[in-house]
Parts: sequence; C-alpha cells; structure tokens
Amino acid sequence: METQEIVATTEHAESKRDGQKKIVLGPNDSLEGKLVYDGHFQVDGGRAEGEFRVGGNIDIGPNTTVKALLEASNVTVKGEVEGRLTARDKLTIGKSGRLNGDVQARRLQIEDGATLNGYVRMGDIEQQAPGS
Amino acid sequence: MALGPRDRVVGLLYVDGDLRVGGVIEGELEITGDLEVEDAATIKASVAARQVSIRGQVSGPVVARKRLVVSRSGSLIGDVQVPRLVVQDGATFSGNVSMTALSDAPPKAPVVEATPVEAAPVEAAPVAAIAPAVETVVAPTDGAAATSSRTARKVNKSSKGKPAPTKGKPKRR
Repeated sequence: METQEIVATTEHAESKRDGQKKIVLGPNDSLEGKLVYDGHFQVDGGRAEGEFRVGGNIDIGPNTTVKALLEASNVTVKGEVEGRLTARDKLTIGKSGRLNGDVQARRLQIEDGATLNGYVRMGDIEQQAPGS
Repeated sequence: MALGPRDRVVGLLYVDGDLRVGGVIEGELEITGDLEVEDAATIKASVAARQVSIRGQVSGPVVARKRLVVSRSGSLIGDVQVPRLVVQDGATFSGNVSMTALSDAPPKAPVVEATPVEAAPVEAAPVAAIAPAVETVVAPTDGAAATSSRTARKVNKSSKGKPAPTKGKPKRR
C-alpha cells in the first residue's frame, strides 16, 4: 500500500532500461517510514529515514544522510548511512561513504577513504521476511 | 624481512621494519613497518603494524596504524581497528570494524613487559599489623643491637625452657 502511494506521489519514479522501476529522492525530497519496493531506490541529496527493503539496488549518493534499515540486492554508499544494512549481492562503500552500523553482504568492496564502523559479516544471506 | 612459503613462526614475532610473509605465522605479530601477507600465506595471530596488505589468509584481530588493504584474493576474519580501510571486490572479510584515527607512533619493543604491581597498597595494612613479628625476625640474627636483644629476651620468655632459636623464623601467628 505504502509502496503504491510513494510511486503515485513521487515525481521521480521512472522506468529504467532494464525494465525495473526506480525511485529517486532528490535534494528536495524526503521519505520517512517503511518502503517495500520491487525496483531500485536511490537517494541523491534527499533525506530518508526508516526501513527500506527493495528487490533491486539501493544507491545512497554523496551529501546524503540516511538513517535506516536497508536491504537490497546491491547497495552503494557514497553518502552517510546509519543503520543495519543487508546486501543480498554486493555492498560498495565509495570513498566519500560513511557507514555506521552492522553489515551483511555476499560481496564487499570498500574504497580508500571510506569510513566504516560496525560488524561485518560475509557469506550467504539469511533471508529476512520482507515486511516483518 | 621476509618469510618464504616454507617458513613458519609459532609464537611472538616482533619486527623492527617491514615484513613480507609467504608462510605460516601463529601467535602474535608486531611490526613497526608494513606487513604484506602473500597469497599462499596463512596467519593465525593478532597483528599490529603500520600498514597491512592481505592477499592470503588472516584470522585474528588486526590493528593498522595507517591503512589496511584486503585484496581480492585475501581473506580476513577478525576484528579490525584502522584509520583507513580498503576491501577489494572478491575479498572475504568478517569482523567488527572500528575506524578512528590512531596515533602513528610505532609500538615499543616488547621487552618482557613489566606488569604493574597493583597489590602494594593493599598489602601495606597487613604488613603494619605484623610489625612486631618482623622485629623478632631481626632479633635472633643480630643479638648485638640493644633493641634486638630486648626482643630476643621476649622470644626466650615465650619459648619456655627451650633455648632461644638463633636462626629459625618466629611464628607469625
């Protein structure tokens, strides 16, 4: 329900070439609450707080602060993230990225300059029931 | 300094300078310079160095004063304390990461570190309590001193009949 609301109200929902939907939060957008979404989710300068579980990828752009529980296939952090994070496939922390929280990922890439504080666990991801 | 693929260290290894490891190290590893763990290397140790680069297997806590790099062939299982961390795609890493700026000063050589004596103030009181007993310890060994002879007499009194012990320690209780 919430998902549909967000898609309906955001101007930034668009279709990507790979056919997957995408939500982009720009500098003037904000999202607070829980998002369960079947596409990609990108926060670029916007503010996001809550719990985001998406089927696609999550991208946190530079100069962006996100306080949330995140779960996605691929997660890229170039901004600041506070909260637990699960990448079913790969987590990338860019050189401007800051991540405070526990991390679970199948693959991990941390670029020089990135900041990470938290527990890292790698390997196969135990599936958390979405929406629980 | 370099340890080849057939070299092995079990214990505490302290290196003043850089170290390149191709073999096995178990125990504790402290390096003032940089540590390079090659593909074939296996390290089961707590590691402290300026810069650590891992292409082999490491399990144990790692403290790097400058930077830690886990390359794509590398595997690190252990808690990490570093100011800068690089993990390349393909690397395996599990553990707690704490990133705060550490002082760049190299560690001092572990010259059988003197463990601080913390018990001293606690012991002070009992020692004072048995002070008279300490006096009698002195007495039999040095009968010439006036005070000692006095205490020596006391000892004589207490050990009725028997000759005063000249050397044996008086009972403390």
